[in-house]
Amino acid sequence: MGRNKVELKKRLKRDWQLYLMLLFPVLMVIIFNYAAYPGLKMVFMDYKPARGYEGSEWVGLKIFQKIFCDGDFLRALRNSLTFNILDLIVSFPVPILLALMLNELRFKRFKKVTQTILYLPHFLSWVIIGSVAYTMFRPSTGLVNMVMTNIGLVTQGIPFLTEKWHWAVTYLFIGVWAGMGWGTIIYLAAISSVSKDLYEASMIDGAGRWKRIWHITLPGIKGTVVTLLIMNLGRIMGSNFERLDVFGNTQVRDFQYQLAVYIYEKGLGGGKFSQSTAVGLFQALVGLGLVLAADRVAKKLGEEGLI
Amino acid sequence: MRKNKIATLCLIASMVATTLAGCGNTKDPTNEQTGNTAVANTDNVSDITGTKADKTGMDSWKAFDENVTIKIPVYDRGVEGVPTVNDNYWTKWVQENFGDKYNITVKYVPITRTDVMTDYALLAASSELPTILMEYDYPKVAQWADEGYLTTFNMNDFAKVAPTYYNKMDENKQLPYTIMNGETYFALAERPYYNNGYTFQTFVRMDWLKQVGYDHVPQTRAEYIDAMTKMQEAGIAKNPAGGAMITGVGSDQNYGYRTFPQNEEEWAQIGDVNIPALGSKANYKLLKRANEDYNLGFTNPEYYITDEETNKASFINGDIYSYGNYISANMDWLNSFYEQNPNAELSVVPVGIVDEEGGTVPAYRSNNPFGMIIGFSSSATVDELKAGWMYMEWMTQKDTLFTMQWGVEGENYTMDASSGLPVSVGDYSGEYKQGYNNNKDYWCITIETRNAGTVKDMIKATSPKGLPQDFTQNIIDNFYKNEELIKQGYSCLDIIFSEPIEAETEYSGVLQELYKEYRDKLTMCKIEEFDALYTELTQKYMNAGYEKVMKQRLEAYKKGHSTKLQ
Repeated sequence: MGRNKVELKKRLKRDWQLYLMLLFPVLMVIIFNYAAYPGLKMVFMDYKPARGYEGSEWVGLKIFQKIFCDGDFLRALRNSLTFNILDLIVSFPVPILLALMLNELRFKRFKKVTQTILYLPHFLSWVIIGSVAYTMFRPSTGLVNMVMTNIGLVTQGIPFLTEKWHWAVTYLFIGVWAGMGWGTIIYLAAISSVSKDLYEASMIDGAGRWKRIWHITLPGIKGTVVTLLIMNLGRIMGSNFERLDVFGNTQVRDFQYQLAVYIYEKGLGGGKFSQSTAVGLFQALVGLGLVLAADRVAKKLGEEGLI
Repeated sequence: MRKNKIATLCLIASMVATTLAGCGNTKDPTNEQTGNTAVANTDNVSDITGTKADKTGMDSWKAFDENVTIKIPVYDRGVEGVPTVNDNYWTKWVQENFGDKYNITVKYVPITRTDVMTDYALLAASSELPTILMEYDYPKVAQWADEGYLTTFNMNDFAKVAPTYYNKMDENKQLPYTIMNGETYFALAERPYYNNGYTFQTFVRMDWLKQVGYDHVPQTRAEYIDAMTKMQEAGIAKNPAGGAMITGVGSDQNYGYRTFPQNEEEWAQIGDVNIPALGSKANYKLLKRANEDYNLGFTNPEYYITDEETNKASFINGDIYSYGNYISANMDWLNSFYEQNPNAELSVVPVGIVDEEGGTVPAYRSNNPFGMIIGFSSSATVDELKAGWMYMEWMTQKDTLFTMQWGVEGENYTMDASSGLPVSVGDYSGEYKQGYNNNKDYWCITIETRNAGTVKDMIKATSPKGLPQDFTQNIIDNFYKNEELIKQGYSCLDIIFSEPIEAETEYSGVLQELYKEYRDKLTMCKIEEFDALYTELTQKYMNAGYEKVMKQRLEAYKKGHSTKLQ
């Protein structure tokens, strides 16, 4: 015990700058992630901003009752789950495939340029992406439809963003396009940690490119894949308001109306902070439950898990 | 090594300081020193006025012993080319000429024009409500009163501090509107000619009309359809009517489609433009016409993904037939229009057209008989409240108001030698540059329009300047035509409730969003499908809360907690 204390003191003395720098993120987490927790009590209150916590009325579980009986909430929940599961199915494997492909490229400069081009969309805000998407995909004046109409591919513009089923596909694929490059970074890092000896040995044994990917690279990054899958499962109840808002219009509201839109319109727009906080809490708890469940399953399957 | 350590420490300190910067309460220390408690109900006249002498108004004012900070909301409309709303020559001018004199610090709080309720809610949640809260929509301020944002006050106290302002309210018969649930909550700004509506004008392409054989703006629905069709056939415009997505509040005003004289109970249930009246006969007729326009190809087929700015740009670029907006001496979009279309000829749409065959009457929405509705923060101290009233009274003084509205002579305006009236310099861009619409967002606290001479002089002053065409006479004609319509009962004043309608607060946001969705479905469906779809969507709209809204409105009306149909 005493030895440990001495060790700790020694370390603190030696690395005090590092510990001091650690203070910043720790403070961030405490302030923004934990200090706001007492505010969660508003889910049990009819919270009015001008009256504050002291002046607002306690209503018990009435807010939750109201939400779960609200048809709009159920519609938003259904849409959120559907689109997040689809998003996971479509978006999750793409960065893995892309990382595998990039890893196989031998011309370094081409690989770097490709990587940079693929990352770029990640740095564009959804507002810009939405604006560009509408410019490209408007039914009659969008660039894509104009080109397709002019070369005779279609006689009438495809309603990429103005008909709900087309919108669903476009929405998902734009999501893949925007996120795939960034997602490859982690997998490329994981691939780089796979021992080169394994590749050399397999090549001596006559393994081709596919065999090497299948038997060495993929098993080598399995742990990372599982970890990221668990983290993504935690987001299955979430939704990105910015993304939904910029792609929204009245013709696709059947699908666009997801929990983030519900929270914004009914909560912030309607001044119902208790209601929106309750939905937020519900999302967080379900997300946490999914992460814990997935972690357990992963451990049972012999993986390390997250927690 | 030592340098590195110092640099590391500085870096860490700045990181931590930045993180914590947003966590403090920014309440002005000068207010804490005064030790005043929040005002619940200010019955004690001497406390609030600070004087027991006979003097009232500015003569009785003394500088505060300790500095008092008042926070005044100002719309940040995101308009290009106007100074920063809370820090410009005019905010400094207010501080120098009013604040410094009475030991008051005047701080302006930017509020977005389109999301007022959220802005105030967030300010309230962070205990940063401005001293004064103001809005044009009565249901919104009623909600504030109901939810504890506002303090009640004694109107006699107000009259002592701000007699000019009070007398103006009295002269304009506004005092009954200052009360909500039996308590005084509001002061009201003046809105001259509130029921005339001449400040909004629609401009149309007269040159296009002439090309298709018209020497006048279409007067009836039949003429309109004919003119639009001919424009399409002549290749002048593909979708001459253009169009943009609707915003919800204030959309699809149906006064022209109503049956006159109006049924008072129906009028009460329709309420105001806060929630569009899907399901009413007038709304049915309006949307039926929108559907017809869409199916005839007059409307831009992408209107529902086109915002208002893009629609305006289409008019400026010469792609669509008409565009309307509020008039002012310097109208950027009209300047741009003539730059883009130097040979174009515009005409102002005349008012007062009766189209029996088309099923419309020349009715229009009258504004409220008041301008800005002003309430006072429930967390304001006695001194802050008094300083707020002083600010309102000072702004109401003729010389203050004139300077705020017109600016500096020789810079923002010149005096016309023949009429002796000010004339704005339309393209002024110097250091005295005024805020949006001649500083309106500052002086709207006392009046809604610029005053100078007679109404004709006012129109002359506010009609667009520096254009190849002069529309002043057309706007004056429209003004007098509207005056006739007022006498005929066609200027429709919406019902105003003196109690909050809870269902409006509960459902307005949802219904506004739902209306956008439904009206676009109704506009774009096939003509033969319209009636069945209208019935189906009306039922859904009712179930989503509109039925409850109408019921509560009718109950309040029957209890006598509202204005009557005039």
